[in-house]
Amino acid sequence: MSEQPRMIYLENISKEYDGVTVLDDINLYIRKKEFVTLLGPSGCGKTTTLRIIGGFEYPSTGRVMFEGKDITDMPPYKRRVNTVFQKYALFPHLNVRDNIAFGLKIKKMSRGEIDKRVDKMLNLVNMAGYGKRSVDSLSGGQQQRIAIARSLVNEPEVLLLDEPLGALDLKLRKEMQLELKSMQQQLGITFLYVTHDQEEALTMSDTIVVMNAGHILQIGTPKTIYDEPANAFVANFIGESNIIRGTMVRDELVNFSGVDFPCVDSGFGENTPVDVVVRPEDIVILGEDIGQLTGTVKSVLFKGVHYEMMIECGDFTWKVHSTTMQPTGSRVGLSIVPFNIHIMHPMKEEAK
Amino acid sequence: MTDLQLPAWAPWAMGIGLAAFIGMVALSVRRNHGVKRSLFAAPYTLWMFIFTLLPCILIAYYAFTDANGHFTFNNFSSFWDSNYIMRENLRTVAGDEMAATVARGSVNVDTLVYSLWMAFLCTAVSLVLGYPAALFMADRKMRLGPTLVVLFIIPMWMNFLLRTIAWMSLLEDNGLINAFLQWIGIGKMQLMYNQQAVLLGMVYNFLPFMVFPIYTSLSKLDPKLAEAAQDLGCNEFRTLYKVTVPLSLPGVISGITMVFMPSVTTFFIPRVLGGGNTRMFGDLIESTFKTAGNWNLGSALSLIMMVLILISLSILRKADPNGEGGGIV
Amino acid sequence: MKQFLKKCYLAIILIFLYVPIIVLIVQSFNAGKSRAKWEGLSLHWYQELFTNASIMNALWVTLSVAVVATIVATVLGTLAAIGIYSMKKRPQAFMMTVTNLPNTMPDIVSGVSLMLLYIFAKVERGYFTMVLAHITFDVPYVVLSVLPKLKQMNKHTYEAALDLGATPAYALTHVIIPECKQGIVTGALLAFTLSLDDFTISYFTTSPLVQNLSTLIYSATKLGISPVYYALSSLMFVVLLVLLLIVNHRTADNK
Repeated sequence: MSEQPRMIYLENISKEYDGVTVLDDINLYIRKKEFVTLLGPSGCGKTTTLRIIGGFEYPSTGRVMFEGKDITDMPPYKRRVNTVFQKYALFPHLNVRDNIAFGLKIKKMSRGEIDKRVDKMLNLVNMAGYGKRSVDSLSGGQQQRIAIARSLVNEPEVLLLDEPLGALDLKLRKEMQLELKSMQQQLGITFLYVTHDQEEALTMSDTIVVMNAGHILQIGTPKTIYDEPANAFVANFIGESNIIRGTMVRDELVNFSGVDFPCVDSGFGENTPVDVVVRPEDIVILGEDIGQLTGTVKSVLFKGVHYEMMIECGDFTWKVHSTTMQPTGSRVGLSIVPFNIHIMHPMKEEAK
Repeated sequence: MTDLQLPAWAPWAMGIGLAAFIGMVALSVRRNHGVKRSLFAAPYTLWMFIFTLLPCILIAYYAFTDANGHFTFNNFSSFWDSNYIMRENLRTVAGDEMAATVARGSVNVDTLVYSLWMAFLCTAVSLVLGYPAALFMADRKMRLGPTLVVLFIIPMWMNFLLRTIAWMSLLEDNGLINAFLQWIGIGKMQLMYNQQAVLLGMVYNFLPFMVFPIYTSLSKLDPKLAEAAQDLGCNEFRTLYKVTVPLSLPGVISGITMVFMPSVTTFFIPRVLGGGNTRMFGDLIESTFKTAGNWNLGSALSLIMMVLILISLSILRKADPNGEGGGIV
Repeated sequence: MKQFLKKCYLAIILIFLYVPIIVLIVQSFNAGKSRAKWEGLSLHWYQELFTNASIMNALWVTLSVAVVATIVATVLGTLAAIGIYSMKKRPQAFMMTVTNLPNTMPDIVSGVSLMLLYIFAKVERGYFTMVLAHITFDVPYVVLSVLPKLKQMNKHTYEAALDLGATPAYALTHVIIPECKQGIVTGALLAFTLSLDDFTISYFTTSPLVQNLSTLIYSATKLGISPVYYALSSLMFVVLLVLLLIVNHRTADNK
């Protein structure tokens, strides 16, 4: 991936609406043919970022660079990017074929060429034979496919997708995730994808950009983001985790819940307050007397592949995933291997 | 009026206005950024300023000036006391003593009170007749709504003045209703030229404006709400006045507005069906402008009317803060 | 039973609304001039209608004012609706107040205030001033019928068009206007109807030399109205009814 040249570069982008800062000094580049996901809770600024790239919003400060050229003030219809909108925004007065042909007609392409390309697109999104249908007669998933076809037919350099699967049911979402990913690989187009669904982001992306409150918290591959979250917010947002306040005693030794734990992190200094993150599946349940921590099982939920137990140790309740069930009320010991203890700096207040 | 000529600057003003209009449209289309679409409303804003706001300001201006353009409250004094000017003139000619013999003329205030009372009656009757009609129209089981809306609109295609005149044929001494009454042996009755005839004419003309908004808001109601109420143990009547009626209130309010307002100011109906016996406020405004040619007093009367309506509207709007009342559209 | 009673009630209301209409139509075929006496069936008044110059002239004024006012109001109102729709919240609220203002003004006040405007601007009242007045009371209705259609539209539709390469002008003519076509048509029909039926505002904004049907009928009532007006009104009524039936029939076919 990393050999590919940079396509889009957001340089010190900030955006204010009526005195409220929605984006605060965003710096981000997107490489050619990359599948990048902007991930974050609603209101974190991910959609605004996408709209700035699409040309629908103008940053208050900063520049948008496209292949080295400044396109900050370029109107949307001159940009070589296309967008798949939330809830599709298909044109209800046009049928499926005319919706897809919309961009091509503007380019004054010949009729034959338009027909050829539209048919190719209908095939690509598995909607051959639907050309004459009215868009209102299509299901949500079908409309989604047409919206994608309508954008892709223009052969954009970058496809922007704003929560494109948000309105679909779970099963359809999963199918479409796979289809989108394979379409992206097949066509070799850069995808910039916005979602609040961390699972979707982990499944599809080459690179995930985690955002909150107008800031970028972490940029990395799905694996890095999951395994080495940069702070408690990312850890909490990506997957489930236990986050506990602790103190870094010295390199490779952290203290929390009154117990010293060996870990693999270093460079925090001595006796520094830190956030400690442990994934629920990384906690091992042992006999009462042999764990590093001792606690009481407060509740048990069956989750399909595993049980989720809430285990109270002193003043902290741990969430633990395990395939073996411990009855409520029983005393257990807990142990965590050093590799699974993630140490991070406590979060700045503003990014919480 | 015919002696007034277009002023020399009129063509220029129109030319500049037109150029500004075209310029603004062109400007708003040429702009790259979608945001500037709000400029599309510029010609309309200009239009509404010239033809709605400016005229309102003019009414206020004329209301507070006399025929020579000097500031005065006399027009309002004349509203309160129609003999005011006469008395003041007498005072300058013959002194205070003679002036005191002229009693207060209450005709304008009386007319206003009477008009408000008639408009109130008309609104009340329209509501009583119109609510059930709207309710039955919105009845999903009968599926009559859309057809009935059209059937309510069609009579309005017959000229409003002629529709009112037609009632004369029905109500007059030799009219159809009296003929019928005579035939069944009750004998003739005086049906025209009284308050009831005016009320009938008003209700007849304005009833659809009560029915439409109520129907619109009723047909927007989720039928599940009524079902839920019944599920929770309300019988049909309780459901009606605990659920349906309160939820249709926005429609009722806009219906009341749409009936009350034209009722207070109508001048044709009382003139035709009331035979000039019952004068209403619209009638008064019209004759002050057209017959007496007193624009200043006429403006003062219009201003009073407008203020009264705005006050009552703002009170009504309180009950419908979202302004969701369905219009006739 | 309950349904039957409800239908009866609605039928009574409808009879109430239609009785005067029927009376007018019947009287337009009366050979005599009296309202009270039936003197036999005749097309006399219909014949007279087409030879009566003042009526024909008023008909022309009424129709041409309605058509011109409707066209201008539709263009102005549609543009305005698009503009208002894309405004920020506060100016939008202000524009909505301005739009609703004529609705909260009684006809007579609108008429009188426009008359004062013309007097103040020293513009002679006549055909042109009447057209301006009609446009004024028509536009808000167009705005109010187009605006809901815009609001129903997916808010990204316009952006989608730009995104696909459409210039704002192209997006306007090829996407936005086609999508709120229904609202534009409704608004235009409403404007036409209102313009056709208006009496009060026309009465104050025209001169006695330029009469439309309403003002002509009004001046005729002072002298005792001739059944020739009944004939005219009945004719217009029937024409509109037939048009409605045709339109309805066609839309029913399309479905």
